Amino acid sequence: MGKKVKIAEQKSDLAYLKNTQPNLDRDMQHDSRKQDSLATRLRAGDRMAASELVDEYYQQIYLFMRRLGHDRQASEDLTQESFFNAWHHIGQLKDGKALNGWLYRIASNVSKLHWRKHKHKEVIGIEGLQMQQSDKSEHEKIEHNEQLEQLKVAVEQLPIKLRETIILHYMQQLTIAEAAEAAGLNQGTFKSRLNRALKNLRKSIK
Amino acid sequence: MEEEQIKELLNELGRQVTEPVRPGLGEEIKQRIPHRLSRHKIGWNTVNIIIDLRLSKSVAAAVIIVTLILLLNLFGGRELTGSGIIKDSMLLIKYWGNSGKDPVSIARSRYEHLLERGENVIWYGYSIDVKDANSVLMQRKLPDGKYQLTFADGQEKQVNSEQLVELLARMLEKSTK
Repeated sequence: MGKKVKIAEQKSDLAYLKNTQPNLDRDMQHDSRKQDSLATRLRAGDRMAASELVDEYYQQIYLFMRRLGHDRQASEDLTQESFFNAWHHIGQLKDGKALNGWLYRIASNVSKLHWRKHKHKEVIGIEGLQMQQSDKSEHEKIEHNEQLEQLKVAVEQLPIKLRETIILHYMQQLTIAEAAEAAGLNQGTFKSRLNRALKNLRKSIK
Repeated sequence: MEEEQIKELLNELGRQVTEPVRPGLGEEIKQRIPHRLSRHKIGWNTVNIIIDLRLSKSVAAAVIIVTLILLLNLFGGRELTGSGIIKDSMLLIKYWGNSGKDPVSIARSRYEHLLERGENVIWYGYSIDVKDANSVLMQRKLPDGKYQLTFADGQEKQVNSEQLVELLARMLEKSTK
């Protein structure tokens, strides 16, 4: 009886996967088409497209700055500066180049310039974690949150180049290609840097 | 902790390490959208290429030194020793400082520097008519036996010994007249 139930569950899982996979593919294709069309309109100098770009990305860029360790005020200023630079570098937005990779690259350069100007400024990460609802027991929740807190501190202590790879790929959820473009690296170098960052994190957490 | 577990935790951290963005920030950015989005700015590409190259400090320093040496070689510097480079740099700075002055004073400062370096140079500036563009201000013997002449209008020319004698004789003839 128990076996039959398990098999039924596995079948339903497979059916779910089969049903959701095309949807995911469709969503990704839709996103990519949307980005392409936005990029084309931006290249044509369409102000409405610029406005859509802000709506789509300003929160992401602000959080990217915060995760890189800038304080709230600096993150707001740097977000504004990133978009301001973007308007002036629309000529660099080439066909077939990911829009978010391009924008993140500008933001990353803006951040680097800021750190260069303020070398001794303290790295200020986002305080605290936004706890999410889960059906874990209290003890499990506490243990899990401790792990997350430890990992957060370990990420903040990584050298800036390694920290940036982790933030771009895992926290900002960019693909390897987009994150590599954003970091201004080829994909091979980006992957090896990402591996090095993961090894460092593994060492510091244990 | 396994690497896979770290990756999962990092993904989760990405969702949880967040904070609300100030309402109005998006609107403030939108207000700064220029009326005409510049699609292509001439000149910026060059700057961007330089930025993209991301030269390290040591490479940048090497480029500056090589440029300096090339400039000095053009200017007449030959010593590539440390003190030679410093002296030549000082001369170059002096030369640039004198760029607004007349060719005679520029040639004079150059003559003094070459003399200090022990080069075979002769200054004719005291005995010539500086208003005559064909007057030779300075003569410098080059290692290949030729002579480099600096004229009163600042122009330079390389001549052999026969041509030098001829030019100097003509100059002497003019001054005696």
